[in-house]
Amino acid sequence: MPENIKKDNADNIIVDVKDLNFYYGNYHLLKSVNLYFKKNSVCTLLGPSGCGKSTFLRTLNRMNDYTEGAKLTGEVLINGKNIYDKSVDVVELRRDIGMVFQNPNPFPKSIFDNIAFGLKIHGIKNKDFIVERVEKCLKYSGLYDEVKDKLNKSALSLSGGQQQRLCIARAIATNPSILLMDEPTAYLDPVSTSIILDLINSFKKYYTIIVVSHNVQQSGRISDYSGFFLDGELIEFDEAGAFFTRPKDKRTENFITSRY
Amino acid sequence: MEQQLHEPVFPANRGYLKRKKVYNNIAVFFAAAAFVIGSFPVFHIIFEAVSIGYKYLNWHFISTLPTGFPIGAEGGILNAVIGDVYLIVIASILAVPIGIGTGLYLSLFGKKRANAFLRLLNELMLGIPSIVWGIVGFYVFSTNAGPGFHFGFSALAGGLTLGFIMTPIITLLTEQAVNQIPASYIEGALALGATKWQATRAVILKAALGGIFIGILLGVMNIIGQTAPLLFTNYYNTGMPTGVTGPGGAVGDLAMLIFIYIHEPSKILHYKAEAASVVLLLFIFALDLGLRLINYLAKRFIL
Repeated sequence: MPENIKKDNADNIIVDVKDLNFYYGNYHLLKSVNLYFKKNSVCTLLGPSGCGKSTFLRTLNRMNDYTEGAKLTGEVLINGKNIYDKSVDVVELRRDIGMVFQNPNPFPKSIFDNIAFGLKIHGIKNKDFIVERVEKCLKYSGLYDEVKDKLNKSALSLSGGQQQRLCIARAIATNPSILLMDEPTAYLDPVSTSIILDLINSFKKYYTIIVVSHNVQQSGRISDYSGFFLDGELIEFDEAGAFFTRPKDKRTENFITSRY
Repeated sequence: MEQQLHEPVFPANRGYLKRKKVYNNIAVFFAAAAFVIGSFPVFHIIFEAVSIGYKYLNWHFISTLPTGFPIGAEGGILNAVIGDVYLIVIASILAVPIGIGTGLYLSLFGKKRANAFLRLLNELMLGIPSIVWGIVGFYVFSTNAGPGFHFGFSALAGGLTLGFIMTPIITLLTEQAVNQIPASYIEGALALGATKWQATRAVILKAALGGIFIGILLGVMNIIGQTAPLLFTNYYNTGMPTGVTGPGGAVGDLAMLIFIYIHEPSKILHYKAEAASVVLLLFIFALDLGLRLINYLAKRFIL
């Protein structure tokens, strides 16, 4: 359990989940999850489909707010502040937490507008700043050279891997401190997957990255910390080295050795 | 051994394999027959109307007011064309914002139970016979019996009544159009910190614009052929309107014109009614093309 990690340096913790329960109607989806994420680390959450790991990820930026019949108890502290507190502005919260989805979902707009959208909705009107920022985000996500001549083309004309990188560029445009990724490589070919995994590794410097995945090999490549979900429970959470080589729980071992 | 490999796993039903092609042909035949039977009246109506009223299909017919005795024996149908424009504009001013707003609310903002209730109301509105709308419009807008609008028999009373017929159609189509947009678009916008309205305006509205325009188009096409609601709220005017309310506020209307001309014991008016039907069809056709053009331009340049 995560206590061993917390002891090291407590002020390095950016997300602190305390006794989180999530219900969907009468269905108890997340059962008493306790978890910590450290600054500038990559954390992967593993688990079979339907174990609640995506739901957990979505509680971190309150994307479940719009799900009807959803109920939540417990606390999610980000930088020491409970995001489910009444005083928290969801819009402000989400500016600080970027999210990348399983399906590449660029807006049906031009490549430029896709990234500028995040800036415009937060009231930035300075055109030079927006142009500069769009360029920078495209460069960060390694897409700039491929699209610099067609920034005004529709984003839907890009390939799946490029679209996903565009979504990453879009997510970092508002300069968040946390990046949530919900199986970002699930629908991509091996080459695109590899590019995105490299991106995640290089982004560690700037962001805290939380990735949901069910691919053990890919997770092993990028993780600093790893957690294993099963049926809504957090079975194990540890540093990646220990997690992948010496899992404490039998169920974790079964999963990472594909014996499920 | 070799032969065993090629033996089928289950016995082939040769009879069915033959029959399934026949079934397919029957299905194709019925689909084609349905198309022919369904489209026949359209072409027949156009053919009949054109062959009877062709004499009057010219610019003069559209651009002059009816004169002579009985009124309409000479001149054209300008009063009705202008009147239709009045009615469409007034009805749209009421129906487009309310219809789109309700549709957006239903698909994006509403809660489950309120939505079920609103949808039920909307379907009821769609099902109300137009003659009932006419009576409602008569009491609410024309007389001073209800809320006391007392618009008289006028374009405003008629247009607003037609607007209420148009609203549920736009609502229905807007909701369907927005529901067809992948949820990932709005999720992506929300995850960036957009408010629901920002997400709607930027992503949803653009992607759903085509569907919403079709809703408006269907609404306009519906009201342009309505006569029953106008019987009690606007009736007919052989001249130009002098306002939109009170005496002189009534306008002509193509559907009413056809209704009235057909009831006159005069051959020439019967021919003119047929010609007016063709004009009405062309009017709808032009509206269709016009709205599609606006839709295309809006998608391309504005949003």
